[in-house]
Amino acid sequence: MDQSVINKLLENFLYVAPELWEGTLDTLVMVLVSTGLSLVLGFILATFMILTNPQGLNPRPRVYNVLDVVVNLLRSFPFIILLIAIIPFTRLVVGTTIGSAAAIVPLTVAAAPFAARILEGSFLEVDRGVVEAARSFGAGDLQIIFRVLLPEAMPAIILNAAVIGITLLGYSAMAGIVGGGGLGDLAIKYGYNRFQADVMIYSVIILVIMVQFMQSLGNYFYKKIR
Amino acid sequence: MIKITNLYKNFGPQTVLSDINMHVAPGEIFGIVGHSGAGKSTLLRCLNGLEGYDSGSVKIMDREVKDFSRDGLLELRSEMGMVFQTFNLMSRKNVFENVAFPLQIWKHPTAHIQERVMELLALVGLESKSHERIGNLSGGQKQRVGIARALALNPKILLCDEATSALDPKTTGSILDLLDDINQRLRLTIVLVTHQMEVVKRLCHRLLLLDGGVTQAMGQTEDLFLSPPENLKKLIDEDYMLIPGINIRLMFPRNVSQDSIVTRMARELGVDFSIVGGKLERYHDDILGFLIINVQPEHLERTIGYLKKQKLHWQLMEDGNNPYPHVAPEV
Repeated sequence: MDQSVINKLLENFLYVAPELWEGTLDTLVMVLVSTGLSLVLGFILATFMILTNPQGLNPRPRVYNVLDVVVNLLRSFPFIILLIAIIPFTRLVVGTTIGSAAAIVPLTVAAAPFAARILEGSFLEVDRGVVEAARSFGAGDLQIIFRVLLPEAMPAIILNAAVIGITLLGYSAMAGIVGGGGLGDLAIKYGYNRFQADVMIYSVIILVIMVQFMQSLGNYFYKKIR
Repeated sequence: MIKITNLYKNFGPQTVLSDINMHVAPGEIFGIVGHSGAGKSTLLRCLNGLEGYDSGSVKIMDREVKDFSRDGLLELRSEMGMVFQTFNLMSRKNVFENVAFPLQIWKHPTAHIQERVMELLALVGLESKSHERIGNLSGGQKQRVGIARALALNPKILLCDEATSALDPKTTGSILDLLDDINQRLRLTIVLVTHQMEVVKRLCHRLLLLDGGVTQAMGQTEDLFLSPPENLKKLIDEDYMLIPGINIRLMFPRNVSQDSIVTRMARELGVDFSIVGGKLERYHDDILGFLIINVQPEHLERTIGYLKKQKLHWQLMEDGNNPYPHVAPEV
């Protein structure tokens, strides 16, 4: 390759490097915070679902059906539409509708029902016999959730957390629409709108590495605690 | 200790338990016996409120199970240990942690838990395995952990749901010895559900035979096996190739098995018998046996006369080509 082309590429890279770094940090913050929050909210929702589930600890089919519909409803929104639709809510929560903080709200709202469904599934996977054994010596419903279901389902939950994180990484690219920043935004802004293909490639490479890293991390902890 | 009267339970339109009456005395080993689907596990779960019931009464130590509050029911369950066919241990906890779990749920102090768990592991012979993962244990060892866990809270009653059905015969024997030992040492009342006749014979003082949710028979194990009602016969009949002629099953109650009854009978009657099969079995604290002999038709009446005179338990076996169906078994 011609020396001048390499120089030109390097010059370009050095020029966008600070923005790439900032984008990486933004993406990390958005993904980590919204994954964490959606797991917490999802866990609360999943607790109610596993309690009221017809096969759950304290079956209440009517309540369960309501929760079920709400979760399905939230999950059926395409993220890009949800992002815009809940702008008033976002403003209410974080006081602004632009920037990474503003992106975390819709990311969390999108992922929480997903997380709830995944956690509910992980809880249902736990051997019913183990739950019955806990009941047989007098464990209450909440003790069963926190001391039987949660620990027994932990390996599955960790793998699923990696899936949620990676999904949110994909969603975060759309956060640029509300000025959320991050690598996805960078790729669209430079690569798509300004035809700077190299910047797009850099962003995508970093995103690929992040996905690999998150999945490996999930696999590592899964193996470690299984 | 346990008293059940006129118990009914339905799953939707299907009646799973119908008019069950039973009582279990303190320190007794009581068997609930039947084919799978007979409703025996459901009956067991009515005792600790894991299943509700529609009408009738289940009283544990004079308290009606249905009348307990939520918390009261948890308290009641802590007074009753339960052992399962599939062990139902927590796979991510080790042996010690599994046994400690009920104690942690009931917030016992850590020092006490430490002491109590080691004591229990010693009782079931697993002291050396306390830090082993559940996955590394054999079936018999897992069930020992299950028993230790069930005993952790010092229950007065132990419920066993097919506790040995997933184990091989030798391991079953050692688990039964352990249960027997616990029953005697701790004066623990045991209610066990099983379809395995060797478990019933070996362990149960009394039993309830259940089929289709209906009581078929109830009484002392020994009596029921010596003169089994039709339904029990179906469960206990081993397959023997019966030979032509008339096959009679003789059952020996205590003391008689030592006497050489058949040879004496042959001598006194001057009749030859062929022996088809037989077995001595260990019952709870006794040895009982049976012997199947084959008699030529012309000697049948004299033989039966002799058996009646000696007050022995016997029955004619159904082999499909019994030429004397009208000779009803009699005790």
